[in-house]
Amino acid sequence: MPALVIIAAVKAYPMLTAIIKSFTNWDGMYKSRFIGLENYIVMIRNGEFFSSISNNFILLLFIPLQILTGLIVGLLLYEKNLGWRFFRIIYYSPQVISMVIIGFFFAVAFGYYGPVNTVLELFGVSQPINWLGNRGTALFVITFCLLWSNIGWQALLILGGMSSISPSIMEAAKIDGAGYWSRLFHIVMPMLLRVIEYSVIVSVIWVFNGMFSVIHAVTKGGPGYETTTLDYMIYIKAFVTGRQLGMACATAVMLMLVMLIFTKIEMTVSNKMDDWS
Amino acid sequence: MTRKFSSIRQAVLFASMLLLALTYIYPFIYTFMNSLRTKIDFIKYPFRIEFNRLSFNNYIVLISQMKILLSIKNTFSITIWTISFLLVFSTMSSCAFAKLKFSGSRFVYLLILTTLFIPGQVTMIPMYAMFSKAGLVGRHFGVIISYLASFLPGTILLLTSHFKGIPDEMIEAAKMDGCSYWRSILIIYVPMGLPAIAISIIFSFLGVWNDLFTPMILIPGTEKRTVMVALSTIIGRYGGDATYQFAGMTLVSIPTILVYLIFQRFIVEGISLGSIK
Repeated sequence: MPALVIIAAVKAYPMLTAIIKSFTNWDGMYKSRFIGLENYIVMIRNGEFFSSISNNFILLLFIPLQILTGLIVGLLLYEKNLGWRFFRIIYYSPQVISMVIIGFFFAVAFGYYGPVNTVLELFGVSQPINWLGNRGTALFVITFCLLWSNIGWQALLILGGMSSISPSIMEAAKIDGAGYWSRLFHIVMPMLLRVIEYSVIVSVIWVFNGMFSVIHAVTKGGPGYETTTLDYMIYIKAFVTGRQLGMACATAVMLMLVMLIFTKIEMTVSNKMDDWS
Repeated sequence: MTRKFSSIRQAVLFASMLLLALTYIYPFIYTFMNSLRTKIDFIKYPFRIEFNRLSFNNYIVLISQMKILLSIKNTFSITIWTISFLLVFSTMSSCAFAKLKFSGSRFVYLLILTTLFIPGQVTMIPMYAMFSKAGLVGRHFGVIISYLASFLPGTILLLTSHFKGIPDEMIEAAKMDGCSYWRSILIIYVPMGLPAIAISIIFSFLGVWNDLFTPMILIPGTEKRTVMVALSTIIGRYGGDATYQFAGMTLVSIPTILVYLIFQRFIVEGISLGSIK
Protein backbone atom coordinates (compact mmCIF):
# COMPACT_ATOMS: atom_id res chain seq x y z
CA MET A 1 0.00 0.00 0.00
CA PRO A 2 1.40 3.36 -1.01
CA ALA A 3 -0.03 4.99 2.12
CA LEU A 4 2.14 2.80 4.29
CA VAL A 5 5.27 3.50 2.29
CA ILE A 6 4.78 7.26 2.47
CA ILE A 7 4.07 7.26 6.19
CA ALA A 8 7.06 5.04 6.86
CA ALA A 9 9.39 7.10 4.69
CA VAL A 10 8.29 10.56 5.77
CA LYS A 11 7.21 10.03 9.38
CA ALA A 12 8.70 6.95 11.00
CA TYR A 13 12.15 6.99 9.42
CA PRO A 14 12.78 10.72 10.08
CA MET A 15 11.64 10.29 13.66
CA LEU A 16 14.24 7.61 14.27
CA THR A 17 16.84 9.76 12.52
CA ALA A 18 15.90 12.68 14.74
CA ILE A 19 16.45 10.61 17.85
CA ILE A 20 19.81 9.35 16.63
CA LYS A 21 21.02 12.72 15.40
CA SER A 22 20.12 14.36 18.69
CA PHE A 23 23.28 12.76 20.10
CA THR A 24 25.51 14.30 17.42
CA ASN A 25 26.77 17.75 16.43
CA TRP A 26 25.11 17.39 13.02
CA ASP A 27 24.99 20.50 10.82
CA GLY A 28 23.24 18.88 7.88
CA MET A 29 26.33 18.74 5.69
CA TYR A 30 29.69 17.55 6.94
CA LYS A 31 29.70 17.23 10.68
CA SER A 32 27.84 14.41 12.30
CA ARG A 33 30.04 13.27 15.15
CA PHE A 34 28.66 11.42 18.13
CA ILE A 35 28.85 13.69 21.17
CA GLY A 36 26.66 11.80 23.60
CA LEU A 37 24.33 13.79 25.76
CA GLU A 38 26.11 17.09 25.21
CA ASN A 39 23.21 18.72 23.32
CA TYR A 40 20.84 17.91 26.14
CA ILE A 41 23.26 19.11 28.81
CA VAL A 42 23.94 22.39 27.00
CA MET A 43 20.24 22.96 26.39
CA ILE A 44 19.36 22.50 30.04
CA ARG A 45 22.39 24.33 31.40
CA ASN A 46 21.99 27.54 29.38
CA GLY A 47 18.34 27.69 30.39
CA GLU A 48 16.90 27.69 26.86
CA PHE A 49 14.94 24.55 27.49
CA PHE A 50 13.34 25.81 30.68
CA SER A 51 12.61 29.29 29.38
CA SER A 52 10.89 27.95 26.28
CA ILE A 53 8.95 25.23 28.03
CA SER A 54 7.79 27.71 30.66
CA ASN A 55 6.29 29.73 27.82
CA ASN A 56 4.40 26.63 26.73
CA PHE A 57 3.15 26.19 30.28
CA ILE A 58 1.97 29.81 30.44
CA LEU A 59 0.13 29.40 27.15
CA LEU A 60 -1.56 26.28 28.55
CA LEU A 61 -3.47 28.69 30.80
CA PHE A 62 -5.66 29.57 27.86
CA ILE A 63 -7.27 26.13 27.97
CA PRO A 64 -9.35 26.60 31.17
CA LEU A 65 -10.42 30.01 29.86
CA GLN A 66 -11.32 28.46 26.53
CA ILE A 67 -13.42 25.77 28.20
CA LEU A 68 -15.18 28.24 30.46
CA THR A 69 -16.07 30.69 27.69
CA GLY A 70 -16.80 27.87 25.26
CA LEU A 71 -19.16 26.38 27.81
CA ILE A 72 -20.98 29.67 28.27
CA VAL A 73 -21.26 30.28 24.54
CA GLY A 74 -22.30 26.68 23.95
CA LEU A 75 -25.05 27.00 26.55
CA LEU A 76 -26.23 30.23 24.95
CA LEU A 77 -26.32 28.60 21.53
CA TYR A 78 -28.23 25.64 23.00
CA GLU A 79 -31.12 27.97 23.79
CA LYS A 80 -31.70 27.99 20.01
CA ASN A 81 -32.40 31.67 20.23
CA LEU A 82 -33.13 33.84 17.22
CA GLY A 83 -30.24 33.63 14.79
CA TRP A 84 -28.30 30.92 16.60
CA ARG A 85 -27.29 29.22 13.34
CA PHE A 86 -25.87 32.48 12.10
CA PHE A 87 -23.95 33.10 15.33
CA ARG A 88 -22.64 29.55 15.23
CA ILE A 89 -21.13 30.21 11.81
CA ILE A 90 -19.61 33.49 12.92
CA TYR A 91 -18.07 32.15 16.12
CA TYR A 92 -16.38 29.29 14.34
CA SER A 93 -15.02 31.44 11.52
CA PRO A 94 -11.51 32.10 12.95
CA GLN A 95 -10.83 28.38 12.67
CA VAL A 96 -10.85 28.48 8.88
CA ILE A 97 -8.44 31.36 8.73
CA SER A 98 -4.74 30.76 9.06
CA MET A 99 -3.24 31.39 12.48
CA VAL A 100 -0.65 33.43 10.59
CA ILE A 101 -3.31 35.94 9.63
CA ILE A 102 -5.04 35.97 13.00
CA GLY A 103 -1.72 36.25 14.81
CA PHE A 104 -0.65 39.06 12.58
CA PHE A 105 -3.89 40.90 13.08
CA PHE A 106 -3.22 40.78 16.81
CA ALA A 107 0.35 41.94 16.25
CA VAL A 108 -0.86 45.00 14.37
CA ALA A 109 -3.70 45.68 16.78
CA PHE A 110 -1.37 45.55 19.77
CA GLY A 111 1.48 47.33 17.99
CA TYR A 112 3.09 50.39 19.52
CA TYR A 113 1.10 52.80 17.34
CA GLY A 114 -1.70 50.29 16.87
CA PRO A 115 -5.45 50.67 17.38
CA VAL A 116 -5.46 49.20 20.91
CA ASN A 117 -3.08 51.84 22.19
CA THR A 118 -5.11 54.51 20.42
CA VAL A 119 -8.24 53.37 22.19
CA LEU A 120 -6.41 53.23 25.52
CA GLU A 121 -5.25 56.77 24.93
CA LEU A 122 -8.86 57.89 24.66
CA PHE A 123 -9.43 56.34 28.07
CA GLY A 124 -6.61 58.39 29.52
CA VAL A 125 -3.61 56.06 29.28
CA SER A 126 -1.09 58.68 28.23
CA GLN A 127 1.94 56.45 27.68
CA PRO A 128 1.39 53.86 24.91
CA ILE A 129 2.02 50.31 26.13
CA ASN A 130 4.73 48.34 24.36
CA TRP A 131 2.62 45.18 24.27
CA LEU A 132 4.94 43.00 22.23
CA GLY A 133 8.14 44.35 23.78
CA ASN A 134 7.73 42.67 27.17
CA ARG A 135 7.50 39.00 27.91
CA GLY A 136 4.46 39.32 30.17
CA THR A 137 2.31 41.47 27.90
CA ALA A 138 3.43 39.63 24.76
CA LEU A 139 2.39 36.30 26.27
CA PHE A 140 -0.89 37.92 27.29
CA VAL A 141 -1.50 38.99 23.69
CA ILE A 142 -0.73 35.48 22.41
CA THR A 143 -2.98 33.85 25.02
CA PHE A 144 -5.77 36.23 24.15
CA CYS A 145 -5.30 35.46 20.47
CA LEU A 146 -5.48 31.70 21.10
CA LEU A 147 -8.57 32.14 23.26
CA TRP A 148 -10.38 34.37 20.78
CA SER A 149 -9.81 32.03 17.88
CA ASN A 150 -10.82 28.88 19.77
CA ILE A 151 -14.02 29.90 21.55
CA GLY A 152 -16.13 28.90 18.57
CA TRP A 153 -14.54 25.51 18.23
CA GLN A 154 -15.05 24.80 21.92
CA ALA A 155 -18.63 26.07 21.83
CA LEU A 156 -19.48 23.82 18.90
CA LEU A 157 -18.01 20.80 20.66
CA ILE A 158 -20.06 21.60 23.77
CA LEU A 159 -23.14 22.09 21.62
CA GLY A 160 -22.51 18.73 19.95
CA GLY A 161 -22.15 17.08 23.35
CA MET A 162 -25.37 18.67 24.55
CA SER A 163 -27.43 17.61 21.58
CA SER A 164 -26.53 14.01 22.36
CA ILE A 165 -28.38 14.34 25.68
CA SER A 166 -31.82 12.96 25.04
CA PRO A 167 -34.61 15.52 25.42
CA SER A 168 -36.68 13.08 27.43
CA ILE A 169 -34.17 13.18 30.30
CA MET A 170 -34.39 16.95 30.36
CA GLU A 171 -38.20 16.82 30.25
CA ALA A 172 -38.28 14.32 33.09
CA ALA A 173 -36.01 16.52 35.19
CA LYS A 174 -38.16 19.53 34.44
CA ILE A 175 -41.29 17.70 35.55
CA ASP A 176 -39.52 16.65 38.75
CA GLY A 177 -39.05 20.34 39.42
CA ALA A 178 -35.36 20.69 38.66
CA GLY A 179 -34.51 24.32 37.84
CA TYR A 180 -32.15 25.49 35.09
CA TRP A 181 -29.05 25.47 37.29
CA SER A 182 -29.71 22.19 38.95
CA ARG A 183 -30.34 20.61 35.54
CA LEU A 184 -27.09 22.16 34.36
CA PHE A 185 -24.98 20.76 37.17
CA HIS A 186 -26.63 17.38 37.61
CA ILE A 187 -27.42 16.36 34.05
CA VAL A 188 -25.58 18.47 31.53
CA MET A 189 -22.15 18.80 33.15
CA PRO A 190 -21.60 15.09 33.84
CA MET A 191 -22.62 14.32 30.25
CA LEU A 192 -20.16 16.90 28.96
CA LEU A 193 -17.14 15.49 30.81
CA ARG A 194 -16.14 13.37 27.81
CA VAL A 195 -16.30 16.34 25.46
CA ILE A 196 -14.28 18.52 27.81
CA GLU A 197 -11.73 15.79 28.27
CA TYR A 198 -11.37 15.46 24.50
CA SER A 199 -10.92 19.18 24.03
CA VAL A 200 -8.33 19.36 26.81
CA ILE A 201 -6.28 16.61 25.17
CA VAL A 202 -6.47 18.16 21.72
CA SER A 203 -5.70 21.66 23.02
CA VAL A 204 -2.74 20.55 25.12
CA ILE A 205 -1.20 18.78 22.15
CA TRP A 206 -1.85 21.87 20.06
CA VAL A 207 -0.12 24.17 22.56
CA PHE A 208 2.98 22.02 22.34
CA ASN A 209 3.19 21.43 18.60
CA GLY A 210 0.98 24.01 16.89
CA MET A 211 2.36 27.28 18.13
CA PHE A 212 4.74 27.91 15.24
CA SER A 213 2.51 30.09 13.06
CA VAL A 214 1.11 32.09 15.97
CA ILE A 215 4.50 32.87 17.47
CA HIS A 216 5.99 33.57 14.08
CA ALA A 217 3.23 36.02 13.25
CA VAL A 218 2.92 37.76 16.60
CA THR A 219 6.41 38.05 18.07
CA LYS A 220 8.85 35.86 16.12
CA GLY A 221 9.83 34.52 19.55
CA GLY A 222 11.03 37.93 20.67
CA PRO A 223 12.05 40.05 22.40
CA GLY A 224 15.18 37.94 22.49
CA TYR A 225 13.95 34.40 23.08
CA GLU A 226 11.44 35.51 25.66
CA THR A 227 8.28 34.29 23.99
CA THR A 228 9.88 31.37 22.20
CA THR A 229 8.00 28.12 22.74
CA LEU A 230 9.58 24.72 22.52
CA ASP A 231 8.47 24.09 18.95
CA TYR A 232 9.57 27.52 17.81
CA MET A 233 12.95 26.87 19.44
CA ILE A 234 13.45 23.90 17.12
CA TYR A 235 12.93 26.16 14.12
CA ILE A 236 15.31 28.81 15.51
CA LYS A 237 18.06 26.28 16.21
CA ALA A 238 17.77 24.63 12.83
CA PHE A 239 17.10 27.47 10.43
CA VAL A 240 17.78 30.83 12.06
CA THR A 241 20.90 30.75 14.25
CA GLY A 242 23.35 28.76 12.15
CA ARG A 243 22.56 25.16 11.44
CA GLN A 244 22.60 23.46 14.79
CA LEU A 245 20.59 20.56 13.47
CA GLY A 246 21.82 18.16 16.15
CA MET A 247 20.71 20.59 18.82
CA ALA A 248 17.38 21.11 17.06
CA CYS A 249 16.84 17.36 17.00
CA ALA A 250 17.60 17.18 20.71
CA THR A 251 15.01 19.91 21.34
CA ALA A 252 12.54 17.99 19.19
CA VAL A 253 13.14 14.83 21.18
CA MET A 254 12.52 16.76 24.39
CA LEU A 255 9.29 18.10 22.89
CA MET A 256 8.20 14.58 22.08
CA LEU A 257 9.03 13.43 25.62
CA VAL A 258 7.04 16.29 27.15
CA MET A 259 4.06 15.45 24.94
CA LEU A 260 4.32 11.77 25.85
CA ILE A 261 4.32 12.64 29.54
CA PHE A 262 1.29 14.88 29.12
CA THR A 263 -0.63 12.27 27.16
CA LYS A 264 0.20 9.73 29.85
CA ILE A 265 -1.04 12.06 32.60
CA GLU A 266 -4.23 12.78 30.70
CA MET A 267 -4.89 9.10 30.13
CA THR A 268 -4.41 8.34 33.83
CA VAL A 269 -6.72 11.16 34.82
CA SER A 270 -9.40 10.08 32.37
CA ASN A 271 -9.18 6.50 33.61
CA LYS A 272 -9.68 7.80 37.14
CA MET A 273 -12.72 9.74 35.97
CA ASP A 274 -14.15 6.56 34.49
CA ASP A 275 -13.82 4.93 37.88
CA TRP A 276 -15.80 7.69 39.52
CA SER A 277 -18.74 7.62 37.23
CA MET B 1 -45.96 37.37 33.09
CA THR B 2 -43.77 34.39 32.29
CA ARG B 3 -44.13 35.18 28.64
CA LYS B 4 -42.90 38.68 29.11
CA PHE B 5 -40.05 37.44 31.28
CA SER B 6 -38.99 34.98 28.63
CA SER B 7 -39.00 37.61 25.92
CA ILE B 8 -36.79 39.92 28.00
CA ARG B 9 -34.53 36.99 28.63
CA GLN B 10 -34.39 36.25 24.93
CA ALA B 11 -33.57 39.85 24.15
CA VAL B 12 -30.68 39.82 26.64
CA LEU B 13 -29.48 36.56 25.19
CA PHE B 14 -29.65 37.87 21.67
CA ALA B 15 -27.86 41.07 22.60
CA SER B 16 -24.98 39.29 24.31
CA MET B 17 -24.59 36.89 21.42
CA LEU B 18 -24.63 39.75 18.99
CA LEU B 19 -21.97 41.53 21.01
CA LEU B 20 -19.72 38.48 20.91
CA ALA B 21 -20.38 38.07 17.20
CA LEU B 22 -19.29 41.65 16.63
CA THR B 23 -15.85 40.87 18.09
CA TYR B 24 -15.54 38.37 15.25
CA ILE B 25 -17.10 40.37 12.46
CA TYR B 26 -15.47 43.67 13.28
CA PRO B 27 -11.84 42.55 12.74
CA PHE B 28 -12.76 41.32 9.26
CA ILE B 29 -14.38 44.61 8.34
CA TYR B 30 -11.59 46.56 9.98
CA THR B 31 -8.92 44.64 8.10
CA PHE B 32 -10.69 44.98 4.78
CA MET B 33 -11.52 48.67 5.11
CA ASN B 34 -8.03 49.58 6.21
CA SER B 35 -6.50 47.57 3.39
CA LEU B 36 -7.99 50.22 1.11
CA ARG B 37 -6.19 53.07 2.85
CA THR B 38 -2.62 54.29 2.82
CA LYS B 39 0.00 53.68 5.46
CA ILE B 40 0.17 57.33 6.50
CA ASP B 41 -3.59 57.68 6.87
CA PHE B 42 -3.68 54.53 8.96
CA ILE B 43 -0.98 55.63 11.40
CA LYS B 44 -2.57 59.04 11.79
CA TYR B 45 -6.12 57.83 12.34
CA PRO B 46 -6.41 54.08 12.88
CA PHE B 47 -10.19 54.35 13.22
CA ARG B 48 -11.21 56.79 10.54
CA ILE B 49 -12.47 55.81 7.13
CA GLU B 50 -12.45 58.61 4.56
CA PHE B 51 -14.60 57.12 1.86
CA ASN B 52 -13.34 59.44 -0.82
CA ARG B 53 -9.74 58.35 -0.25
CA LEU B 54 -10.13 54.60 -0.53
CA SER B 55 -8.26 52.82 -3.29
CA PHE B 56 -7.26 49.35 -4.36
CA ASN B 57 -3.67 50.47 -4.65
CA ASN B 58 -2.36 48.00 -2.07
CA TYR B 59 -3.92 45.12 -3.99
CA ILE B 60 -2.40 46.32 -7.23
CA VAL B 61 1.03 46.43 -5.61
CA LEU B 62 0.47 42.95 -4.19
CA ILE B 63 -0.33 41.57 -7.61
CA SER B 64 2.27 43.43 -9.64
CA GLN B 65 5.23 43.44 -7.25
CA MET B 66 4.66 40.49 -4.92
CA LYS B 67 3.37 38.26 -7.73
CA ILE B 68 0.79 37.09 -5.21
CA LEU B 69 -1.29 35.48 -7.94
CA LEU B 70 1.62 33.17 -8.75
CA SER B 71 1.80 32.15 -5.10
CA ILE B 72 -1.94 31.54 -5.07
CA LYS B 73 -1.57 29.35 -8.13
CA ASN B 74 1.24 27.42 -6.42
CA THR B 75 -0.86 26.83 -3.34
CA PHE B 76 -3.79 25.71 -5.46
CA SER B 77 -1.74 23.19 -7.35
CA ILE B 78 -0.24 21.81 -4.13
CA THR B 79 -3.71 21.58 -2.61
CA ILE B 80 -5.22 19.78 -5.57
CA TRP B 81 -2.43 17.23 -5.87
CA THR B 82 -2.41 16.61 -2.14
CA ILE B 83 -6.15 16.04 -1.99
CA SER B 84 -6.23 13.74 -5.02
CA PHE B 85 -3.41 11.51 -3.79
CA LEU B 86 -4.81 11.62 -0.28
CA LEU B 87 -8.22 10.42 -1.42
CA VAL B 88 -6.91 7.62 -3.61
CA PHE B 89 -4.47 6.28 -1.02
CA SER B 90 -6.70 6.67 2.00
CA THR B 91 -9.74 5.11 0.32
CA MET B 92 -7.68 2.10 -0.73
CA SER B 93 -6.16 1.59 2.70
CA SER B 94 -9.39 2.27 4.56
CA CYS B 95 -11.31 -0.29 2.52
CA ALA B 96 -8.63 -2.82 3.33
CA PHE B 97 -8.61 -1.96 7.03
CA ALA B 98 -12.38 -1.92 7.27
CA LYS B 99 -13.29 -5.12 5.46
CA LEU B 100 -10.32 -7.27 4.49
CA LYS B 101 -9.09 -9.07 7.55
CA PHE B 102 -5.54 -9.86 6.57
CA SER B 103 -2.99 -10.99 9.13
CA GLY B 104 -1.51 -8.12 11.10
CA SER B 105 -4.02 -5.60 9.74
CA ARG B 106 -4.98 -4.50 13.23
CA PHE B 107 -1.32 -4.01 14.17
CA VAL B 108 -0.54 -1.98 11.04
CA TYR B 109 -3.65 0.12 11.60
CA LEU B 110 -2.59 0.98 15.14
CA LEU B 111 0.93 1.73 13.92
CA ILE B 112 -0.46 4.23 11.41
CA LEU B 113 -2.57 5.85 14.09
CA THR B 114 0.38 6.27 16.45
CA THR B 115 2.11 8.42 13.84
CA LEU B 116 -0.71 10.92 14.48
CA PHE B 117 1.07 11.72 17.72
CA ILE B 118 4.47 12.50 16.20
CA PRO B 119 4.82 16.29 16.16
CA GLY B 120 5.68 17.71 12.75
CA GLN B 121 8.62 19.62 14.15
CA VAL B 122 10.33 16.40 15.18
CA THR B 123 10.36 14.92 11.72
CA MET B 124 10.91 18.17 9.85
CA ILE B 125 14.68 18.41 10.18
CA PRO B 126 15.62 14.87 9.12
CA MET B 127 12.99 15.16 6.40
CA TYR B 128 14.55 18.39 5.19
CA ALA B 129 17.97 16.71 5.07
CA MET B 130 16.52 13.70 3.28
CA PHE B 131 14.64 15.82 0.74
CA SER B 132 17.64 18.01 0.05
CA LYS B 133 19.69 14.92 -0.76
CA ALA B 134 16.92 13.69 -3.04
CA GLY B 135 16.63 17.11 -4.69
CA LEU B 136 13.08 17.64 -3.47
CA VAL B 137 13.70 20.88 -1.58
CA GLY B 138 12.28 23.76 -3.57
CA ARG B 139 9.82 21.55 -5.39
CA HIS B 140 6.14 21.19 -4.76
CA PHE B 141 6.41 17.43 -4.82
CA GLY B 142 8.31 17.37 -1.53
CA VAL B 143 5.67 19.44 0.22
CA ILE B 144 2.90 17.24 -1.21
CA ILE B 145 4.58 14.09 0.11
CA SER B 146 5.02 15.68 3.50
CA TYR B 147 1.35 16.68 3.63
CA LEU B 148 0.29 13.20 2.56
CA ALA B 149 2.24 11.72 5.44
CA SER B 150 0.65 14.12 7.91
CA PHE B 151 -2.93 13.89 6.65
CA LEU B 152 -3.12 10.19 5.78
CA PRO B 153 -3.40 8.80 9.34
CA GLY B 154 -6.30 11.07 10.30
CA THR B 155 -8.11 10.51 7.01
CA ILE B 156 -7.62 6.75 7.21
CA LEU B 157 -9.02 6.80 10.75
CA LEU B 158 -12.09 8.74 9.66
CA LEU B 159 -12.78 6.74 6.50
CA THR B 160 -12.15 3.35 8.09
CA SER B 161 -14.67 4.03 10.83
CA HIS B 162 -17.21 5.05 8.19
CA PHE B 163 -16.53 2.10 5.88
CA LYS B 164 -16.93 -0.29 8.81
CA GLY B 165 -20.57 0.80 8.97
CA ILE B 166 -21.30 -0.51 5.47
CA PRO B 167 -23.26 -3.77 5.82
CA ASP B 168 -21.30 -6.86 4.79
CA GLU B 169 -24.32 -8.23 2.92
CA MET B 170 -24.12 -5.40 0.45
CA ILE B 171 -20.54 -6.19 -0.48
CA GLU B 172 -21.31 -9.92 -0.62
CA ALA B 173 -24.23 -9.25 -2.93
CA ALA B 174 -22.06 -7.16 -5.22
CA LYS B 175 -19.47 -9.94 -5.29
CA MET B 176 -22.16 -12.47 -6.22
CA ASP B 177 -23.14 -10.28 -9.11
CA GLY B 178 -19.59 -10.53 -10.37
CA CYS B 179 -18.36 -7.19 -9.18
CA SER B 180 -14.59 -7.08 -8.70
CA TYR B 181 -12.97 -5.70 -5.54
CA TRP B 182 -11.75 -2.53 -7.25
CA ARG B 183 -15.12 -1.91 -8.82
CA SER B 184 -16.86 -2.37 -5.49
CA ILE B 185 -14.68 0.35 -4.02
CA LEU B 186 -15.94 2.73 -6.66
CA ILE B 187 -19.62 1.83 -6.63
CA ILE B 188 -20.15 0.91 -2.95
CA TYR B 189 -17.51 2.29 -0.60
CA VAL B 190 -17.04 5.73 -2.12
CA PRO B 191 -20.74 6.65 -2.43
CA MET B 192 -21.51 5.27 1.04
CA GLY B 193 -18.62 7.11 2.63
CA LEU B 194 -19.30 10.36 0.82
CA PRO B 195 -19.98 12.54 3.92
CA ALA B 196 -16.70 11.46 5.49
CA ILE B 197 -14.86 11.96 2.22
CA ALA B 198 -16.33 15.44 1.85
CA ILE B 199 -15.19 16.37 5.33
CA SER B 200 -11.67 15.10 4.61
CA ILE B 201 -11.53 17.13 1.42
CA ILE B 202 -12.64 20.34 3.13
CA PHE B 203 -10.29 19.98 6.06
CA SER B 204 -7.31 19.01 3.91
CA PHE B 205 -7.97 22.07 1.81
CA LEU B 206 -8.02 24.31 4.88
CA GLY B 207 -4.97 22.56 6.32
CA VAL B 208 -2.86 22.91 3.20
CA TRP B 209 -3.95 26.43 2.44
CA ASN B 210 -3.30 27.73 5.95
CA ASP B 211 -0.05 25.92 6.68
CA LEU B 212 3.07 28.01 7.01
CA PHE B 213 5.67 25.75 8.60
CA THR B 214 6.09 23.04 5.95
CA PRO B 215 6.32 25.19 2.80
CA MET B 216 8.41 27.80 4.56
CA ILE B 217 11.12 25.26 5.18
CA LEU B 218 10.77 23.02 2.15
CA ILE B 219 10.34 25.73 -0.52
CA PRO B 220 12.91 28.48 -0.27
CA GLY B 221 12.94 31.06 -3.04
CA THR B 222 10.17 33.27 -4.34
CA GLU B 223 9.23 31.50 -7.56
CA LYS B 224 7.50 28.44 -6.08
CA ARG B 225 6.48 29.63 -2.66
CA THR B 226 2.94 29.34 -1.32
CA VAL B 227 0.64 32.20 -0.34
CA MET B 228 1.23 31.77 3.36
CA VAL B 229 4.98 32.05 2.88
CA ALA B 230 4.52 35.07 0.65
CA LEU B 231 2.25 36.62 3.24
CA SER B 232 4.66 35.97 6.08
CA THR B 233 7.44 37.73 4.18
CA ILE B 234 5.43 40.95 3.97
CA ILE B 235 4.69 40.76 7.65
CA GLY B 236 7.34 42.84 9.33
CA ARG B 237 7.73 42.76 13.07
CA TYR B 238 7.56 46.46 13.84
CA GLY B 239 6.40 49.31 11.71
CA GLY B 240 6.06 48.06 8.17
CA ASP B 241 3.18 49.03 5.99
CA ALA B 242 0.17 47.82 7.93
CA THR B 243 -2.43 48.61 5.29
CA TYR B 244 -0.43 46.75 2.64
CA GLN B 245 -0.23 43.78 4.98
CA PHE B 246 -3.97 44.04 5.62
CA ALA B 247 -4.52 43.80 1.88
CA GLY B 248 -2.42 40.63 1.79
CA MET B 249 -4.33 39.16 4.71
CA THR B 250 -7.68 39.91 3.11
CA LEU B 251 -6.70 38.48 -0.26
CA VAL B 252 -5.27 35.28 1.25
CA SER B 253 -8.25 34.59 3.49
CA ILE B 254 -10.88 35.01 0.77
CA PRO B 255 -10.66 31.41 -0.56
CA THR B 256 -10.92 29.79 2.86
CA ILE B 257 -13.80 32.04 3.85
CA LEU B 258 -15.60 31.17 0.61
CA VAL B 259 -15.07 27.45 1.17
CA TYR B 260 -16.27 27.86 4.73
CA LEU B 261 -19.43 29.71 3.76
CA ILE B 262 -20.28 27.21 1.04
CA PHE B 263 -19.64 24.11 3.10
CA GLN B 264 -20.41 25.47 6.57
CA ARG B 265 -23.13 22.85 7.06
CA PHE B 266 -20.61 20.02 6.63
CA ILE B 267 -17.98 21.75 8.72
CA VAL B 268 -20.17 22.76 11.62
CA GLU B 269 -21.83 19.36 11.77
CA GLY B 270 -18.46 17.64 11.48
CA ILE B 271 -17.24 19.54 14.53
CA SER B 272 -20.38 18.78 16.46
CA LEU B 273 -19.73 15.11 15.82
CA GLY B 274 -16.45 15.77 17.54
CA SER B 275 -14.12 14.14 15.10
CA ILE B 276 -11.86 16.85 13.81
CA LYS B 277 -9.77 19.77 14.91
